[in-house]
Amino acid sequence: MAQTDVVRTAESTPAKGRTKGTVSRWSVLTMVIVIALVLPMLRSMSSYQYVLSVGTVVFMWISMTASWNILGGYTGYISLGHNVFFAAGGYVSGLLLLELGWSPFATAIVAGVFSLLMGGVAGLITYRTHGPSFIISTIALLLVATLLMDNWAFLGGSNGLSLPLPSLSPSWVKVPFYYAMFLAAAGAVYLGHRVQHSKFGMALRAIAQDEVKAEVAGIDTRRYKLMAFALSAFFPGVVGALWGYNIAYLRPIIFLQIAIAARMVLMAIVGGRGTVAGPVIGAILVVAFDETAVDLFGGSEINLVITGALLILMLQFFPGGIIGTLRDRNRLPAWLDWD
Amino acid sequence: MAEIQVLILGLLLGGVYALMASGLTLLFGVMRVVNLAHAAFIVLAAFCSFYLWEFAGIDPLISIVLIMPSFFVLGMVLYRVLFPRIEGTPRFTEMTVLMTFGLAFVAEGLMARFFGGIFRSASPPYARDAIILGDYYVPTGQLLASTASLVLLLGLWAFLKFTRTGYGVRATMQNRDAAQIVGVDVRRVSTISFGIGMAMAGAAGALVSFLFPFFPARHWQWIAILLSLIVLGGMGSLKGAVVGALLLAVVSSFVSHTLGPVWAPITFFGALFLILLVRPQGLFGKKARV
Repeated sequence: MAQTDVVRTAESTPAKGRTKGTVSRWSVLTMVIVIALVLPMLRSMSSYQYVLSVGTVVFMWISMTASWNILGGYTGYISLGHNVFFAAGGYVSGLLLLELGWSPFATAIVAGVFSLLMGGVAGLITYRTHGPSFIISTIALLLVATLLMDNWAFLGGSNGLSLPLPSLSPSWVKVPFYYAMFLAAAGAVYLGHRVQHSKFGMALRAIAQDEVKAEVAGIDTRRYKLMAFALSAFFPGVVGALWGYNIAYLRPIIFLQIAIAARMVLMAIVGGRGTVAGPVIGAILVVAFDETAVDLFGGSEINLVITGALLILMLQFFPGGIIGTLRDRNRLPAWLDWD
Repeated sequence: MAEIQVLILGLLLGGVYALMASGLTLLFGVMRVVNLAHAAFIVLAAFCSFYLWEFAGIDPLISIVLIMPSFFVLGMVLYRVLFPRIEGTPRFTEMTVLMTFGLAFVAEGLMARFFGGIFRSASPPYARDAIILGDYYVPTGQLLASTASLVLLLGLWAFLKFTRTGYGVRATMQNRDAAQIVGVDVRRVSTISFGIGMAMAGAAGALVSFLFPFFPARHWQWIAILLSLIVLGGMGSLKGAVVGALLLAVVSSFVSHTLGPVWAPITFFGALFLILLVRPQGLFGKKARV
């Protein structure tokens, strides 16, 4: 513990608000990981399939939100079109499966790399825009993608493509998806942690605070912004590949709804933008909230209202999110401080 | 001469787009607020107008008189509820984008819940009529809507140009701090501007109710189009919004004529990316103060 503290100081985490409590983050992290890994083995558990599917969904959102956070949190470039990469991943792996018979579990990485390259190209937007015009451009990007996908006959247009299911017995078929999503989530959170503690991450935070000053200080802002955009597109691609295979159906409206982008933003803001634990906490809470809301009210319209209202309330009262607000008030428990 | 026909239709469409965009650009100009919920409120107004027509027989053009004042009040209330807490935060504009993003979802969800998710369209008698002029035709509904837009935009211009409050609004647009120093009540000006922006959205919605079929989720397409054209014109510039609207509506009419209506929206996004590449501040925009 003492040693990690020394390292943390040396890496100059923002010193605001030392953490409290005696439960270390390592014990909590280990516990969470062990529970997550063991869960699919408890096959006699009641509503096993439900738990498994919620777990898969939570991991998916953690992975996407943690990726979004690299661009929207650390760099301060808020993307409302990040599900373009989610869609790209789904279609890349889906096509490889349909045309060549390669399993998306293997090609998810290919899908990720494809998204990464796409993110590198889309990142050129950051050369010319920042703030509101960047956000507007990302919305336009999303709508251009929707228009293309809806009318691209080779990809099934708006009707989409059906994918074959993996050849496993129905009671086992969701288990590999669960573990694969877990890996994607762990990977994205680890990436976030690495970014936080690297020179790269410091440059990104400098850009978020004041891009002109960062530029003057000798930071190659263009290169860093492009890298941040590309990196933040990788895991959405991976997760898109897995999700498309999981639901066995690729359709533009499933991937490209703006509500999906809104979820990423909401989760990051609920948890805390620009923190490592934020996306995890945000994803878990928002999914839990959603499940309860669907249980109570049913219907997806109410979900939209809740998404919007939560976003407004967080911005009004806790713009730093749960982690950020607790840290500002010096009340962040040590086990929640993963930075 | 199909081209002249396309041009006529494009200009008529542009008139309505200009009205739809005017509130959006006004809010940005005065308060640096990007209102992503603007089109959602246009759809809300369209629903109001639709129901007034269906159940009370009130003509959508007449319903403007009812909708504008109610939306004016709604706008002022929303402004006072949502914005004071985040005023003065760093990156205020981005905060407003996120905030109104949430507001758009709330509005969309509530509309879907109470009005249903199906296509609606009011059908006053003139909506399907056309005036024949030699070889060309002018749809009566479009003509009336564009005329109404023109009247409202002229009214807005006259208000900004000749009234005392209008002076205050323009002063705030030019320089918020300086306006405050010379005695403009910026908070009051902002509240009124938000009301006006919302009233313009309300009027636009009443016109939309009989021009285009609409449903709650339709507003995302519209807001993207409207944002593209105000970026083209220069964010915050009323003149820019009008020019951008006319220009892009005409171009998109030609795109729609040659490639098919599905591709018309590409015009707006293409123009957005092009203008960001060539002149990020837009046609009539001033270089942003960082």
